[in-house]
Amino acid sequence: MIRKGLAGGSYKPLTPEAISKINETALQIIEEIGCEVNSDLALSSLEKAGAIVDKKKRRGRLPRERALELIGKAPSEVTLCGRDEKHDIYLGGNRVYTGTGGTALYIYEPDTGQKRQATMDDLKRITRLVDKLDNIHLYLLPTYPNELPFEQVDVNRFFAGLDNTTKHIMGGVYTPDGMQQVIRMAEIVAGSAEALRERPVISIIACNISPFIIDGEYGDMVVAIARSGIPLVCPAEPLCGATSPVTLAGNLVVQTVDSLMGVILAQAVNPGTPAIFGSVATSTDLRDLKYIAGSVEMGLLNAAGAQMAQFYGLPFYATGGMTDSKVLDAQSGYESAITNLLCALAGANFIHDSAGLMEFALTVCYEKYVIDNEILGMVMRAVEGIRVDDETLAYDLIKEVGPGGNFITAKHTRRFMRREHYHPVLSDRNSREDWEARGGKSSWEKASEVVRAILDGQTSGLPEEVRSRVLSEIKGIVD
Amino acid sequence: MPEDIVDLIKENVIQGRVTSDDEGMDKGMVGQPGVSELVEEAIASGISVADIINEGLTASMEIVGQKFENEEYYIPDMLASAEAVGAAMEILEPHLSKSGVKPKGKIIVATVKGDLHDIGKNIVSVLLRGAGYIVKDLGHDVETKDIVKAVKKEKPQFLGLSALLTSTMTTMEDTIKALTESSLRDKVKIIIGGAPVSEEYARSIGADGYGADGFHAVSVVEALNAEMKGRD
Repeated sequence: MIRKGLAGGSYKPLTPEAISKINETALQIIEEIGCEVNSDLALSSLEKAGAIVDKKKRRGRLPRERALELIGKAPSEVTLCGRDEKHDIYLGGNRVYTGTGGTALYIYEPDTGQKRQATMDDLKRITRLVDKLDNIHLYLLPTYPNELPFEQVDVNRFFAGLDNTTKHIMGGVYTPDGMQQVIRMAEIVAGSAEALRERPVISIIACNISPFIIDGEYGDMVVAIARSGIPLVCPAEPLCGATSPVTLAGNLVVQTVDSLMGVILAQAVNPGTPAIFGSVATSTDLRDLKYIAGSVEMGLLNAAGAQMAQFYGLPFYATGGMTDSKVLDAQSGYESAITNLLCALAGANFIHDSAGLMEFALTVCYEKYVIDNEILGMVMRAVEGIRVDDETLAYDLIKEVGPGGNFITAKHTRRFMRREHYHPVLSDRNSREDWEARGGKSSWEKASEVVRAILDGQTSGLPEEVRSRVLSEIKGIVD
Repeated sequence: MPEDIVDLIKENVIQGRVTSDDEGMDKGMVGQPGVSELVEEAIASGISVADIINEGLTASMEIVGQKFENEEYYIPDMLASAEAVGAAMEILEPHLSKSGVKPKGKIIVATVKGDLHDIGKNIVSVLLRGAGYIVKDLGHDVETKDIVKAVKKEKPQFLGLSALLTSTMTTMEDTIKALTESSLRDKVKIIIGGAPVSEEYARSIGADGYGADGFHAVSVVEALNAEMKGRD
């Protein structure tokens, strides 16, 4: 049984008053301080849409009414399609989905205890692995192929995704030309340009820089993505004490402004652009200013971000599920579990980075995808909550069984045992004797076996004629 | 087609459906005949009892056992299948002697005097029926003299004694002594089970076997049975 798109929202770190105060402060910043916009295209688009622009300072501000009007043009629901319809996901409301994230540079190998540079081959293999992990619903391209020339990276990353899984592919792009090639590739895969807009099998991420900067190249890309009609993710990554106030409330304000500015820019360019409000907000290690990926505060910030997205009626891209551990140890389990759980219970629509990432998001690990898939299965069961009705209360059955009886042979038990309880694929529930008899394996060793079985199994490649069309039309793909 | 009925019996044992009211594993099975109805139908259409047992019941329980081993089935699934086989055996019982098919054996089970716990004993009963044994369940808190009386009357090949409490497990020893005094001890193989007992304890009180859990109990009975048959 696969649990996805279930309604979260039982966990609310922000009160309604807190949400209102964060909103007020964010709108005040958008109105009075504004953003530095280093893209001419973005700046002129904002100006045309009613922004007050100071060309010398490259600063754009928006009256709050105008800002809210533009935010209101963004669809409250965005459908991200899989190449196979069963993988379609419907972002919006408080429905919860999970996915991978990146972009990591290294692979950690638990059997040798070493890390190495990630290659194209890793990207393909990780795609094939995630394709078969049911609790990971969307595939965000997780690694950077170090051996490829920079200008070939975009097409090769997206091709590795599209050619190895039927789940939706989301990713960042590095060059404007690469982005155009990627969209063309997706059009071929979808069948036509119209078919891609109808069923977007890809979506593209373009970050804003906290605090309050729309970058030159990324600003241009947001404009281009908005014009293309492809779903766009607008995340911001404020870091407590470094690029935002150290307080969580102050961080939330910066994240809200920066992400809203991305949404506003997309609506200024092309009203109705499917734009996803995104957060990568987290803490900073104030001893050496490192980015922290596994803090409980990251869980709180992204859960609160979900509440802000719900407040604005925007679909939400959250960040959770990572660890700063260098190995697959207790830290890697509890950090991933806690941040994923907080986001999911808050009803974060799409928890990105939810599997595979460790060591400040620099590194991924095949085995960790399998371990996190298990965590996410448990998390989604928690999101599902407890169904209470006559059938589940089971009065009639209790009456029939009576004092001292048992429920092992009841039909009711068989009817509900599979769907009421999460059935782990990795957790060991054998007695010590049985566990020892089966080799006394740790969770990562069992995860390793799952990785091998999946990589030795069936692939979800593109249909041959589509594949050869992509290879002949799109230049630079290393097959 | 008679073969079709046997196939359906097999499928429904795997699904764990005793009657047409049962849900089974797959959706939309309620209302279709279960094992009880199918076995009646098979007898009426003249299919041999041996075929029903061997191809319909025994073969399907082997598949159920594999599914359990592969962690696809849980204990309630296994018990539902065993219950279906038990129901089939009950229907087939009057036809056994006529058709020359010998039941695998008869076993009396009881939770001993002073002990009210019967979950374990009930599970063992279902599983033994599922394995093709005739099971007479005397219930729980059974007086030692009633166990002796039942062994005398029913002449079972096996006696299964269960106890959950350390304070009642010694009653198992008393029961074995009482059977010895009535000159019945060598007529019946005694298997004990329950949380506080062990292989060592079974040996120390002169029992023939110990079942660590329901499935183990069945395999112990099967092994003792094979040993006895081998001597015949």
